[in-house]
Parts: sequence; C-alpha cells; structure tokens
Amino acid sequence: MAATKKRMVLSFPADSVNEPITYILIKEYDVMINILNADISHGREGKLLIEISGQKESVNGAMDYLKGKKVEISPVVKTILFNQSACIHCGACSSLCFPGALSIDQDSRELRFFPDKCVACELCIKACPLRLFELNFGVN
Amino acid sequence: MKKSIQEINEKIRTGKAVVLTAEELSSMGKDHTPAEVVRKVDVVTTATFGPMCSSGMFINTGHANPPIRMEKATLNGVPVFTGIAAVDLYIGATENHPEDPAYGGAHIIEELIAGKDVELEAHAKGTDCYPLKDIKTSINRENINEMLMFNPRNAYQNYPVAVNTSNRIKYTYMGSLLPRLGNANYSTSGELSPLLNDPDMRTIGMGTRIFLGGTSGYISWHGTQFKSDAEVNEHGVPVSNAATLAVIGDASRMSPEFIKAAYYEKYGVSMFVGIGIPIPVLDEDMALRVMIRNEQISTRILDYGDPDHPELGRTNYRELMSGEIELHKKKIKTASLSSIFQARKIADILKKQVEEGSFLLTEPLEVFPRGKSLNSLDIR
Repeated sequence: MAATKKRMVLSFPADSVNEPITYILIKEYDVMINILNADISHGREGKLLIEISGQKESVNGAMDYLKGKKVEISPVVKTILFNQSACIHCGACSSLCFPGALSIDQDSRELRFFPDKCVACELCIKACPLRLFELNFGVN
Repeated sequence: MKKSIQEINEKIRTGKAVVLTAEELSSMGKDHTPAEVVRKVDVVTTATFGPMCSSGMFINTGHANPPIRMEKATLNGVPVFTGIAAVDLYIGATENHPEDPAYGGAHIIEELIAGKDVELEAHAKGTDCYPLKDIKTSINRENINEMLMFNPRNAYQNYPVAVNTSNRIKYTYMGSLLPRLGNANYSTSGELSPLLNDPDMRTIGMGTRIFLGGTSGYISWHGTQFKSDAEVNEHGVPVSNAATLAVIGDASRMSPEFIKAAYYEKYGVSMFVGIGIPIPVLDEDMALRVMIRNEQISTRILDYGDPDHPELGRTNYRELMSGEIELHKKKIKTASLSSIFQARKIADILKKQVEEGSFLLTEPLEVFPRGKSLNSLDIR
C-alpha cells in the first residue's frame, strides 16, 4: 500500500455537520491531519486548509466520509501567491519561514520560493515590506 | 606606495584604473598583502540598499495662476510639509496616508520618480500676493520644477541585530520578530557597506560624489545621529550603529529600481534607498580597510522584546549571512532587511562607471567630526 499526502480546502456548509470531523478522520480512518489554516465563523460557511496524509486507502476512505457529510473538497494548487518579479531580495520574509519555502540563495543572494514546502502560515504576507505575498485561499 | 585622488582620477580618465567591488576585494585580500592590494587596485566600489526612514524629497510645484501659498497640502492624500516657501514642499518618506497606514510619502516619491501622476490638493488662507485658497490638480516628474531628494540620515555604519525574547510577535522597523528568539533580523550589507570599508572616513566626507537612487548624488553633510566615538573591534570597525550620511541628489534622474517604498507591519512606511560609494585605495592603510571581510565585522544582538533593547550577545556578518546564528544555545534563522542582491548590483554599476571613466572620484571638501557622541532626550 502506498502512502499519500494531499492538501485541500474543506468548505463546510453554514448548517455545518455536528460531528467532530477531524477526530473521526484521525480515529476512524487513521490519517494524519495537519490544519494549516482555518476560517470558521458560526452560522456562516467555514473553510479549513488541511494537509491529509496516510495510506492511500485510508485517505480515500476519509475523502468519501467527508463527501458524505456534504463537505466540499477542493484540492489546493497554490496557497501563497508571490509577485516574484517585483521582489528586491531583501529576505525579510526568509527568517520567519519555518518550513523553508522562502530562503536566500547563499551564492546569488536572491530570494528563492519553493511552493511545495509552503504551509501557508501567512507570516510572509505581513513580513514583506513590498507586500508581494497574497493568500490564495482558493483552489484550481 | 601612496596614490593621490588626482592620480587615480587621471587613471580613470585614461581608462587605466583597476576597479573592484568591495566583495571582490575582500576575497582578493585573503591571499594578498595590503602593499600588494594598493599596487594592484585603484578603486573599490561599495554599496547598500536598505530601508532608510530618514529620507525625503523637496519638490517645487511651480506657481498656479492665480498663485497659492500652500499651507496644508497632500499628495494622493498623504500630508506633505509646507512650512517653507509658497510652492516648495517636502515629502517625508515615512509620512502615511491617514486612512491607509501602508501607503505614504515613500510611495509618492517612488511614483513621482517612476513618472506617474500624483494628485495634489492644497489649502491656504489667501494673502494679497497669493490670493488662491484651494487647489486640486495633478503633478508629475515632467510638470514640476524640481525633485530634490535630501535624506538627513542614510547608510548607517553598522547596525545591531534584532531578536525578540518576549512571548509575542513584535512588529518593528527591524521587521517581524517572532517570539522566544524565533528569528534574527539584521540590516547591513556587511563587507559591501560603504562606511564599513572606510571606518575612519578618510575618503568619505562632505562633498563626496556617490551613486544615489540610480544617478549620481552627493554627500551633503554628516548624517543626523552621527556618532564617531563608538566602540570599535580589533579590525577597527564600530560594533554598533555609528556614523551616518546626509545625502542629496536629483530625483528626477533616479530610477524606481533603486528607490523603493516599503511598509513594515504595524510600524509604518519606510523607503529603500540605493547608495554606492567608490573608495580610492590611497595607501596601505586604506587597502587594509577595504580588505575587511564579513567575519571581521562584528555587531551586537539586541532584544527588541524588552523596551530597553538589552544586548544579548555578539555575532559577525559571516554568521548572519549564513542564514543562521546561535544564541542561548539555540539556532536562530537570520534574515537581512537590506538587500545584498541589490547592493551588489549597485557596486557593479558603479564599478563599470568608474572603469568607463564616467564617474570620477572626489576629495572630501571637509572631513567629518571626530569623537562625536550622541545626546539623548531627557524628559524634564
């Protein structure tokens, strides 16, 4: 069995399910859940950016469970948008980026962005003095 | 061996001057003696591109008909200083829009330099000679008289590293500082930095011609908060913020590539200023100075989590630029607020200009004050 990892946005309807969804996902489906971002207000539609990983079958089972609960699943393509061409390579974002998605190249001193490592923590959005990062809570 | 600035300029004019950037010279210095360096190299180009709050620009808008003596004025909604003659205005880089803290004087300066239209609104009481009371129009680089950048304090000679030991994130002019020593930010171009290559300011002084914002400008005075009695390390460079420069230049010839508006979260607006200074290698002492390497430039680490900013330790720019320093047995990720990438670009441009003979060196008209200390503001 192959392990898999998926990053997705879960959209909960306003009359959200009353079940503790993450608990059930972990307990019943044996998947690892990493909540990267949450935007939930009571009485309104909520969104959760998660990374879900585990054996392929477990992850598929978890997805079926979510669909059954009318949770809309949208795979995430990009979470942070970076206007790289306007970057002046100061690097103010790089010391805050704990997953290492933003770093200054030791030789060229240019800022490098590795979207694969990004967990959309949003610290770079406020750290960039030129405001070049934007959160894309959207999907493909 | 000794060389005069006139002799070096003669070499520049005839295209014979040997010019290296400060980084190139620092690596050459590893296997050359100062005597060899002074024989082989004539000019070293230094540069910095960092956020420098104490910056701004005078403009003269030209007179309207009927004329107005502007007493309150805004550009794109950002207040500008009018307490000088009728249509002279000073755009302070850090002045912000009353409704948008992330937009301010630096953005206006950048937009004017880029040739964009900016909306001017001004009010006055009206006088016999300046009867107009209100005006609303748009200005740009082409339709105003002067754009004179005058920055009272730029190019700090060294600066401390900022960390935060408190339990919450601090938003400062040194960037976002994560709690519990989560990161460390610094702001100097290290061995490329102008005043770290001439720490005693033998060749950098009043009237020195420099690269400023994409064109040539001048050092007009020592900068405000200038300090020349700071503690120096064994390599003769101050270990903390020390000397500063007041600079002046024609902003209508600058480029938005080298003047960039910035906003630091919950702090305010600032402006990146690109400065380059060529340093003549006059003798062995100057050679030794420009040979300085990042590991020989030390700086203090200050805790911005405490209002008194106590010193927690010391480090050097080689460690800082490696991306990680160690403090209190913890590895801390580092970041520069000043762009080494851009500083290199400026040092390279300046190198080409000197090589081509289009940028001659100047002798300081006056040297900067020695042993100058700082006053603090007593609350009486």
